[in-house]
Amino acid sequence: MTKIPVVYVKGQYNHLIVRNLKELGVESKLLTPSVPLEQLESMNPDALVMGGGPQSVRSLDHLTGELADAARLIRQARLPMLCICVTHQLLATAFGGVTGAARKPEFGPVEISVIEEGRILEGLKPSFTAWESHNDEVVKAPEGFHVLAKSDNCAIEAMRHDNSPVFGVQFHPEVSHTLKGVDLFKNFLHIVEEHKRT
Amino acid sequence: MGKRLSVAFQGFHPSSFLSEETARLRELAQDKKVISAVSGGVDSTVATLVAREALGDRLFPVMLDTGFLRVGEPERVKERLGMSPTSLKVRLVHASGRFLASVRGKGTAEEKREKFRETFYQVLKEEAEREGCEYILQGTIAPDWIETQGGIKTQHNILEQVGIDPASTYGFKIIEPLSDLYKDQVRMLGRHLNLPSELSERQPFPGPGLLVRCIGNVTKEKIRVLKEATKMVETSLAPFNYEQYFAAVIENKFAKGHSLETVLETASEALGLPKSEVHADVFEDRVTGVKGDQRCYGLLAGVKLSEESRETYGWLQDRLRQLQAGIVEKFPDITRVAMLVKERRGGGPLSILVRAVSTRDFMTAAVSPVPWKILKDIGQQVLKEETVSRVYYDITPKPPGTIEFE
Repeated sequence: MTKIPVVYVKGQYNHLIVRNLKELGVESKLLTPSVPLEQLESMNPDALVMGGGPQSVRSLDHLTGELADAARLIRQARLPMLCICVTHQLLATAFGGVTGAARKPEFGPVEISVIEEGRILEGLKPSFTAWESHNDEVVKAPEGFHVLAKSDNCAIEAMRHDNSPVFGVQFHPEVSHTLKGVDLFKNFLHIVEEHKRT
Repeated sequence: MGKRLSVAFQGFHPSSFLSEETARLRELAQDKKVISAVSGGVDSTVATLVAREALGDRLFPVMLDTGFLRVGEPERVKERLGMSPTSLKVRLVHASGRFLASVRGKGTAEEKREKFRETFYQVLKEEAEREGCEYILQGTIAPDWIETQGGIKTQHNILEQVGIDPASTYGFKIIEPLSDLYKDQVRMLGRHLNLPSELSERQPFPGPGLLVRCIGNVTKEKIRVLKEATKMVETSLAPFNYEQYFAAVIENKFAKGHSLETVLETASEALGLPKSEVHADVFEDRVTGVKGDQRCYGLLAGVKLSEESRETYGWLQDRLRQLQAGIVEKFPDITRVAMLVKERRGGGPLSILVRAVSTRDFMTAAVSPVPWKILKDIGQQVLKEETVSRVYYDITPKPPGTIEFE
């Protein structure tokens, strides 16, 4: 059975990610980000999903405890990774991108335009409706990442690393109102399966 | 085919959940007695039935009449749960006076919720002592602890998750068999337990009840009017099968402030209507919302269109969506927007808010497109109450709103 823990950074929807993964036949549970790397590795996970949270990550110097720990996991864990909302921003900031206040914050339904499917958004072109809740946004993607999707208000709704299976999405695929969110998780599972085989 | 089916059902199996959970409860409670707080809602009913499978007659169901229940509800619930197949012998504890006294003079949502929680456990503790119970069983589900822990709102049934040790504070321990489940999974479990659909599919009702739909200060008149409006809204909207629908009451006191002067402009721009046809008020009492995963105890904007535009615009969903998003994105302090349905000039000091949403798990919610004519009929009925002068429909999804108002 594929094993994918969800890193809990205090967002309301983190537990829903676990529910989504379980419904797709994955073994999953919430994990606190302070888990030491050795302990994480001893669990033999096949991938990591990181959830959203209420924090701001505009600067790496002022991270809350759990996000400082999450940033450590992002850098150290050599696993396929899907980062959602605040950890999407953390992923950007941790690799040298820029997160700032959103010109226009987004709450509730948002139309996402797919620029490039990049495997994680396979089948989601040209656009789909996703639900969001954010005051900050990724302003500049880090070096080595490219942008996969945008919305009217936000230029970087999804991004992926050029050569490794690491993805960030600003919207919430785990909430039931993002009808195609389950497709995104299925795409991620395919990527994880493939990674396992190589 | 077989494989695909099993994938579709993976994640939650009522029968294996039941056998694991009853084993855990037997182990946990040993031979001790357990008191169970029931409300008639699906969560506490299912939790109690799961516990009865495990504990048999060592389980004592009680229901607290907080005074914030709907007309006739305590008696109705006691009678219904007493019938087959639930056959629960529920003891009704009348405590409305104590609850009302504890929230008197408390104007903010969190103060009211915290006072309610305090009284709730105080009364339960007395009942537990009377029955010689060491454990309290309750129907907490996942959104309850997620929202409380995330600081979105204090759910009355959450203690341990926010650092209150029930054993040292109240002298009892808490059992929550459903704390990992969502509402739709609880209903699934209820159906598995052969609950009749009026119980397994029952419309959700918050623990603190009408208290959190009585925005701002609690007065007897506000609660009285709210009970009447609740009856009307529930009767009118029941046939539509929305997952949640209800009424709330707010006083017609309006916030003033320089920063709010441009709300009207934003509203008319979003609607594409001249300013002369639009009117906007911002209420003074605050309502709960959630923006960027953070609690936002913000203001409620009430938008009114001139009579003619109102008829035309009644339910142009896209336009209303733009109106709501335009205002909430631009004004950080405004968290919800409501549309005026009907008003009575020179009427009383209260407004009734109607809310209806579709939601699977209560974590996100979309505004339901209630037919404009139905809303107007509700408005007509509610305005017969002397003290009400306006009826609004809330057009805010969650996020940035929450499902309830406080």
